[in-house]
Amino acid sequence: MSTFPKLLRGMDASTRKRLAFGIGSFLLPLLIWSLVSYAPFIWHPKVMVTESGGVDYFQIGMLVDKEMFATEVENMRQAQQALPAGTPANPIYLPAPHEVAQALYRGLFEPLQQTDTLSMPASLWHSIQIIFWGFLISSLIGVPLGVLAGTYVPVGRLAEPFIEFFRYLPAPAFGALAVAILGIYDGPKIAIIVIGTLFQQVLIVANTTRKLEPTLIEAARTLGTRRLQLLSRVVVPGILPDLYRDQRILLGWAWTYLIVAELIGTSSGITWYITQQARYQHFDNVYAGIMVIGLIGFVSDLLLARLSKTLFPWDRSQERR
Amino acid sequence: MNANSAHLPSYLEQSEAVQARFASIRERDVVLEVRNLNKRFRSTHGEVDALRDINFSIHRREFICVIGSSGCGKSTLIRILAGLEQQSSGEALLDGKPITGPGQDRGMVFQGYSLFPWLTVKKNVMFGPLANGQSTSHAEREALLWLELVGLEKFADAYPHQLSGGMRQRVAIARALVNQPRILLMDEPFGALDAQTRAKMQSHLLDIWRNIDITVLFITHDLDEAIYLADRILVLKPHPGEVQEIIEVPVPRPRSAAQFTSPEFLATKARLEQLIHPAPVAESENEQAVKPHMIRFTNVADNVE
Amino acid sequence: MQAKHLIGRTLAALSLSIGLATLSAPARADVSVGYSDWPGWVAWQVAIDKGWLKEAGIKAKFEWFDYSASMEAFAAGKVDAVLMTNGDALVTGSAGGKSVIIMPTDYSNGNDMIIAKPGIKSLKELKGKKVAVESGLVEHLLLLNGLKKAGMKESDVILVNAKTNEMPQVLASGDISAVGAWQPIAGQAMKGVPGSRPVLTSADEPGLIYDVLAVNPASAKKNKAEWLKLMKVWDRVVAYITDPKTQPDAVKIMAARSGVSPQEYLPYLKGTKLLSLAEGKKVFAKAAGFKSIYGSTKVADDFNVANGVYGAAQSVDSYIDASFINAN
Ligand SMILES: Nc1ncnc2c1ncn2[C@@H]1O[C@H](COP(=O)(O)OP(=O)(O)OP(=O)(O)O)[C@@H](O)[C@H]1O
Ligand SMILES: [Mg+2]
Repeated sequence: MSTFPKLLRGMDASTRKRLAFGIGSFLLPLLIWSLVSYAPFIWHPKVMVTESGGVDYFQIGMLVDKEMFATEVENMRQAQQALPAGTPANPIYLPAPHEVAQALYRGLFEPLQQTDTLSMPASLWHSIQIIFWGFLISSLIGVPLGVLAGTYVPVGRLAEPFIEFFRYLPAPAFGALAVAILGIYDGPKIAIIVIGTLFQQVLIVANTTRKLEPTLIEAARTLGTRRLQLLSRVVVPGILPDLYRDQRILLGWAWTYLIVAELIGTSSGITWYITQQARYQHFDNVYAGIMVIGLIGFVSDLLLARLSKTLFPWDRSQERR
Repeated sequence: MNANSAHLPSYLEQSEAVQARFASIRERDVVLEVRNLNKRFRSTHGEVDALRDINFSIHRREFICVIGSSGCGKSTLIRILAGLEQQSSGEALLDGKPITGPGQDRGMVFQGYSLFPWLTVKKNVMFGPLANGQSTSHAEREALLWLELVGLEKFADAYPHQLSGGMRQRVAIARALVNQPRILLMDEPFGALDAQTRAKMQSHLLDIWRNIDITVLFITHDLDEAIYLADRILVLKPHPGEVQEIIEVPVPRPRSAAQFTSPEFLATKARLEQLIHPAPVAESENEQAVKPHMIRFTNVADNVE
Repeated sequence: MQAKHLIGRTLAALSLSIGLATLSAPARADVSVGYSDWPGWVAWQVAIDKGWLKEAGIKAKFEWFDYSASMEAFAAGKVDAVLMTNGDALVTGSAGGKSVIIMPTDYSNGNDMIIAKPGIKSLKELKGKKVAVESGLVEHLLLLNGLKKAGMKESDVILVNAKTNEMPQVLASGDISAVGAWQPIAGQAMKGVPGSRPVLTSADEPGLIYDVLAVNPASAKKNKAEWLKLMKVWDRVVAYITDPKTQPDAVKIMAARSGVSPQEYLPYLKGTKLLSLAEGKKVFAKAAGFKSIYGSTKVADDFNVANGVYGAAQSVDSYIDASFINAN
């Protein structure tokens, strides 16, 4: 405990300020969520029945609309029967923070009895593999194509109109086709990630490439660089930091396609876990799953951002962050 | 402004030493020759005659400045010479051979530094030799040599963004010179520098020029800079860009800041001013189109003058 | 420089390990079956977890899917058999995924239902009101049959098309008088609108919807022995689930597969009538009406044609092969 203030003192003022804002940016939503969950006078449009009284269909634990509950209380009073009792509650779609925290703990640390069903960590690991391969394959095609399209006008003119068209097609619609071609396991899932990411990637990378300062290319040409060398000696190194940033954004994009990818073929992965839990209305588990994805995304992006400082010491745009 | 111009000698008067110097320059080989050069841009706004019928030649180790108002085609000219732009007609010859594209026989320094930000200072300078197939060790040796010449050997491992503007432009000069070009093309290289740094860079450039076998074509719109640096000044007139006059600078060499007030210097400057800002008609079409309409945003009583 | 190499090596190692983990594809089995989240199908999980398949000497691989994904995989020839409804067997077959039904697993016995909002107590009271069902799916069929039985016509209610998954919200919105959904969605819908109750369930119409094991015709021929062995295991599964002594253990296994607690799962199981092979044999006797799979499938075929699910009526007999169940 005592090391924490010491740690703070070790930082300079601007780092400390940034850290404070960073923590605040998480605490603020959490505070709002807690208020909505725990302060019974905020929102709470439902009543959770604690005693059914004379109402035949009321069951303990049932969520009822406030107005309906009031009507039934009135009815029972007039009928001179036992009054039902209840406490204000939020809809089942909004679990309280502690419920989600408990679900998170259960999901991550309590082992399942069954070997065949995947636990949350195993589901997550499976999802990470899908993302990894999908993103890798997409990048292996998308980055070179994007760089070429951005560098050589004819390539851009040839490739981009179709890609521009294709990127509006919903990737999930190709699920059945992907299964027919690639089988029922991870192949079609990876394919959906690829389809969802690749086309954006080509356009974004091409755009980044076009933003490279033209005088750098001209300078290289006056220094005797031949056309083919330009790509490897100027264009690629020149856009690398921006390309890296694009890739970070696109990686987040790939995650959003996971939720459809994992409903294709055999069911697996973290988003399938979420879908299944939502089907049975276990919203604490749903939110726990969502949190885990958010956490993974956030932490991995943080690490990648750190890494970029080591990889691109010349990149000045990151100093502004 | 030109109140004392009546007392000045003509800019055409040259001392004997200066005359002899020009005579010796004329005897040297012609490095660059430009014949009937025309450049016409076609854009969505119609056609622009950027250059019309340009003729001149530059001798070995001569220092030529090109001046002219904004938009008169200075950059277009130098880019054609660098091979980055294609002329519409006419030709430019380097050592008698037509220029068809960029080549290491011409070095170029841009106004905006244009150093490769991902390479260290040393690697920036090594870029040319490596692109031309030399070994890394050779390129490195050359690079260090030229960095020493521009006084930046201590910064060999720094990245460009860690340098000041003047230092960056030194690196750009070293990077262009390491290829040992026949001619160094410079497009307003010191335009973005503050006055002090700029003066330092000018004398530094003269030092370099004096010590190595290099011919310089230098673009500027700063009249003092042109007179201070040049043997001859090529004055372009806008719309279309045409050679208005080629002035032989009567200021003797070696040059120093003290000469800025010498009669020859002032006479030349007066002439240049006359050419570049002649009476009211001189405004270019472009500038005419832009007519600021001043609106007062401050309190009427709040005066600054 | 050193740091960069280290990062590079770490990345390489990481990608290699992720890669290897993915590339370990499952071993090929003799027969593969796609199953999804329905009590009559999750029942197979008991056999899988108990190791009964291996005991019976069957190299069968059960693949866990989302329901529609399982039919897609079957149509694409990626699994040899799939567990689906008899009506969906026709739909899948009409699109090229032809199958033969070799055994029933169960029929819905209350799990499919039409839920009316509070105050409406019978189907008759729905006259002139809005009813939401997912067009062409089983609840639609259930509703039409229910209306017929009650002496009403389809045009007596205003049909609204909605996604089954969204029925809880549809009912809660209040504009709609009744919705059609299966469990667990039906349960959610009722929880969401206290006082709402089912006015018609599949228990009122046993055999309207049969859940079946539908096999790729080629595999049915080639692996007949395997399929027969698998059907033997099914009897064991049904016995284990229905026996009150072993039922809790069975429910535990099934609930875990679906990701819910056993208590929560029990009602869904109760809404499903599992069919032993002996019971299945009776269902496979050719007859009209819902007591026979032939009759039930014919109704489904008519319904599908009437609703434009596919164009022309199909030969129902070609979808049903009673020789398997009769050989047991
Ligand atoms: N790529 C182009 N397309 C069309 N017009 C062009 C192009 N490049 C230059 N021009 C036009 O040619 C004329 C000369 O331009 P140039 O850049 O050579 O002028 P400049 O003398 O270098 O001006 P400055 O002092 O502002 O740098 C201008 O009118 C400009 O608008
Ligand atoms: Mg210019």
